[in-house]
Amino acid sequence: MSTKVCRTCGGFDIDVDQARGSAVCTGCGSVLEDNIIVSEVQFVEGSGGVSSAVGQFISADGPLKGPLLGSGFHTTVGKESRAQTLQSGKRQIQQLGSQLQMNQHCLDTAFNFFRMVVSKHLTRGRKMEHVIAACLYLVCRTEGTPHMLLDLSDLLQVNVYILGKTFLLLARELCINAPAIDPCLYIPRFAHMLDFGRQTHEVTMTALRLVQRMKRDWMHTGRRPSGLCGAALLVAARMHKFRRTVKEVVSVVKVCQNTLRKRLTEFEDTPTSQLTIDEFMRVDLEQECDPPSFTAAQHKAKMQQLEQELTKKLDEVEGEICCYKDEIETELEKSRPKLRGIYAAYAKEIDPEDAEVLSSTSEPEELEIEDAQLQAATQHLTQDFLCQMIHEEEGRDKTTLEDEQESGLEGQQSGPQRHAAPLAVILGNCPSSASLDGPRIFQTLNKSEISEKPHGEALESEELDLDGIDDQEIDKYILNDKEVQVKTALWLKQNAEYLQEQKEKEERIQKEKEQGTYKEKKKYKKREPIKASTAGEAIEKMLEKKKISSKINYDVLRDLNSRGTGSGGCNSPGRAFADPPEPNAPGKRLRRRRSKANEATQDLAVNTATMSKRFRRLISSTSSTSIQKKKKKPTSEGKKSIGMTTESTRAAPEATPVPDPDISSTPAKLAVVEDVEEEEELDVEEECVSALQLVGDYGCEAEEEDTF
Amino acid sequence: MDSSNDEALDIIITNVVATFRTRCHLNLRTIALEGTNVIYKPEVGKVLMKLRKPTITASIWSSGKIICTGATSEDEAKLGARRLARCLQKLGFKVRFSAFKVVNVLAVCSMPFAIHLIDFTKNNRPIASYEPELHPAATYRIKNLKATIQVFSTGSLTVTGPNVQNVATAVEQVYPLLFEVRKPICK
Repeated sequence: MSTKVCRTCGGFDIDVDQARGSAVCTGCGSVLEDNIIVSEVQFVEGSGGVSSAVGQFISADGPLKGPLLGSGFHTTVGKESRAQTLQSGKRQIQQLGSQLQMNQHCLDTAFNFFRMVVSKHLTRGRKMEHVIAACLYLVCRTEGTPHMLLDLSDLLQVNVYILGKTFLLLARELCINAPAIDPCLYIPRFAHMLDFGRQTHEVTMTALRLVQRMKRDWMHTGRRPSGLCGAALLVAARMHKFRRTVKEVVSVVKVCQNTLRKRLTEFEDTPTSQLTIDEFMRVDLEQECDPPSFTAAQHKAKMQQLEQELTKKLDEVEGEICCYKDEIETELEKSRPKLRGIYAAYAKEIDPEDAEVLSSTSEPEELEIEDAQLQAATQHLTQDFLCQMIHEEEGRDKTTLEDEQESGLEGQQSGPQRHAAPLAVILGNCPSSASLDGPRIFQTLNKSEISEKPHGEALESEELDLDGIDDQEIDKYILNDKEVQVKTALWLKQNAEYLQEQKEKEERIQKEKEQGTYKEKKKYKKREPIKASTAGEAIEKMLEKKKISSKINYDVLRDLNSRGTGSGGCNSPGRAFADPPEPNAPGKRLRRRRSKANEATQDLAVNTATMSKRFRRLISSTSSTSIQKKKKKPTSEGKKSIGMTTESTRAAPEATPVPDPDISSTPAKLAVVEDVEEEEELDVEEECVSALQLVGDYGCEAEEEDTF
Repeated sequence: MDSSNDEALDIIITNVVATFRTRCHLNLRTIALEGTNVIYKPEVGKVLMKLRKPTITASIWSSGKIICTGATSEDEAKLGARRLARCLQKLGFKVRFSAFKVVNVLAVCSMPFAIHLIDFTKNNRPIASYEPELHPAATYRIKNLKATIQVFSTGSLTVTGPNVQNVATAVEQVYPLLFEVRKPICK
């Protein structure tokens, strides 16, 4: 440090008085430094003789966005954004907590959680009330209060699963392991709500025993605890001769009636239910049960097995039945009136396919059915369906339906033939729906016919490998022209409203364009990140991109830049001392200092204007989402911080009008390039360096208090 | 492969989701009007196309990105995707089959014993989480495999992961943990 050596006599003995802020050489007595930045607590006498320390408390996680300039009004807003958030959070917690009748200790804990959440930035992108509710519920779980998530969602009118999601996320982020819910916690609360009078306690005890028994019988895993409580309370009430209907319990416990009944049935299945009331109170059965869903699943499995055996047996019988069916069919044909003329041809066509359809329907477990058959069959089925509709409309007589399937199909064929032409048009698009339903109707077990093996994974080229793709099958997926027309007509009809809307929108835009009032929707292009190897390069590139005023002498700027880096180097120990890990922090603190300094300057008006401009710019730059920008922050902030100190130290000690307009005017012009503008004060930088190095950050703050 | 069990555990893959790109712009209206088994949703801007052979439902966007769901194996997914691309090719678009990737695999598995979920969650905090008020299963997330396992008290498991291998590994990983907290079956 240069002050270690006296300038006049060259002596090394220098007395630095922290209180007065001066450095005096003890040898010759010359004052080497005046107004050193000191870090002393100052006291001020208030009204009534009360002395208080000068200063404000600033939290460690201060305002992340620069408070930015301007008048006192602006700075308070910027600084206390975090404080405001916390304040409003506290208020909401108190409100919600009082509605839930939670005690103050819980509310304080909830507020602590909330503070943690805010500092971890988990409130961003989430509704405040969700976060608050989640914090409260977190407290409920850790404290073991009988509050359910459902209660919270009731109060807020929010979906319980959304709250649950937020709650789970918060619990994970804050690494809080909420203990599992115990249904026993809810019993006293529900019992109280059910109004048992004097015997509430006994009923509660009985219900607790019941719940514990249920737990041992594995009824409580995977179930909502409130359901179990409801069932237990119902039984307990009955045991103590209180008549509480299912409805009453349901309204208190907030589960569905069916759920309650289910739980009761499950409990009924356990051996405990067989005990009498007295026995139950005295004895505890040793045996445990399987969870009811487990037993249900096993039951299901057994049923399936039985069914399979049955079907096997059926298959054997099927064969016999088939023969009988065929015989019956032939008989029916003979007895039915023959169709004449053109329609006879149609009838014949259908018969063989009918037979196939029947045989396929009678064998539900057929493994594979040809697609062609399927389509034909489904086509006919849909035709039948449509014909039925037409029949009903026109009141035609249907031919006798002895055997539904066969005659149904055949008889109704006579109907459609008369409307063959129009139907075909309508049915043009039917295959699409019919073929979709086909597999479902026939319940084919789709064993993948993929005998064709796809070739390794080594399809590096983007050409489509046609191996194993059946072109014919693919062709079926494409409609022919006629069908396309039909489908187009249908689709247009169906989506008429949407198309109408689109047209209107187009017209509107056209009109506006003609009128010249058309506002193009701003398309925000993603900003390309600036790739630069040094900070200087980055600044240059940024300057090129952003159009800044023509009144700047860029050459000088560039020179400044190089000098700036030089001085920045020697400044680094000072800064490093300030706050190495977080690049944001020095910027933050220094910005604050800058703002305070500005309050001190005389030219407040000018400064507000300039600072507010810079405020806006900084806001926009800090709020930009691209990560690269943030990464660049440290480098640019480095410059900024130097600049900030320049301004502050300059403004505070000198407070001369001459340099101030300088500072204020330049920022006005260089609204964007903050880091570069500061560097115009070359001569001040040395001072700034030394000041910083001498005392560090706190000195700055204290000094500014002086000028207040 | 299943620790102390003699019988093998059946891991049944129920759904495979895959995506690929056709590298060309697709006219959704054409596809909607000329394809069978097609649902067009103009508000969302996509077309749903269902294939029958490998039962696959594909969401087709006009940018050429396609998502295929419903396959029961990775190979099937690829085959279905190729079939779909072929179909689009036939409709007249210059499709190229690129960037095929299986994104998600869903499998179910059943343990022969019931599981005590609360103990399971206690032993495996914070990897496992169980909220009976919200969902009856405990969720176990394996970070390095990027797999999520939902454990039900009956012993059934639902596993989702980025590919079949991961899913199998996840089941193997979780089996011993489940075995610890099993509930012996009493008859």
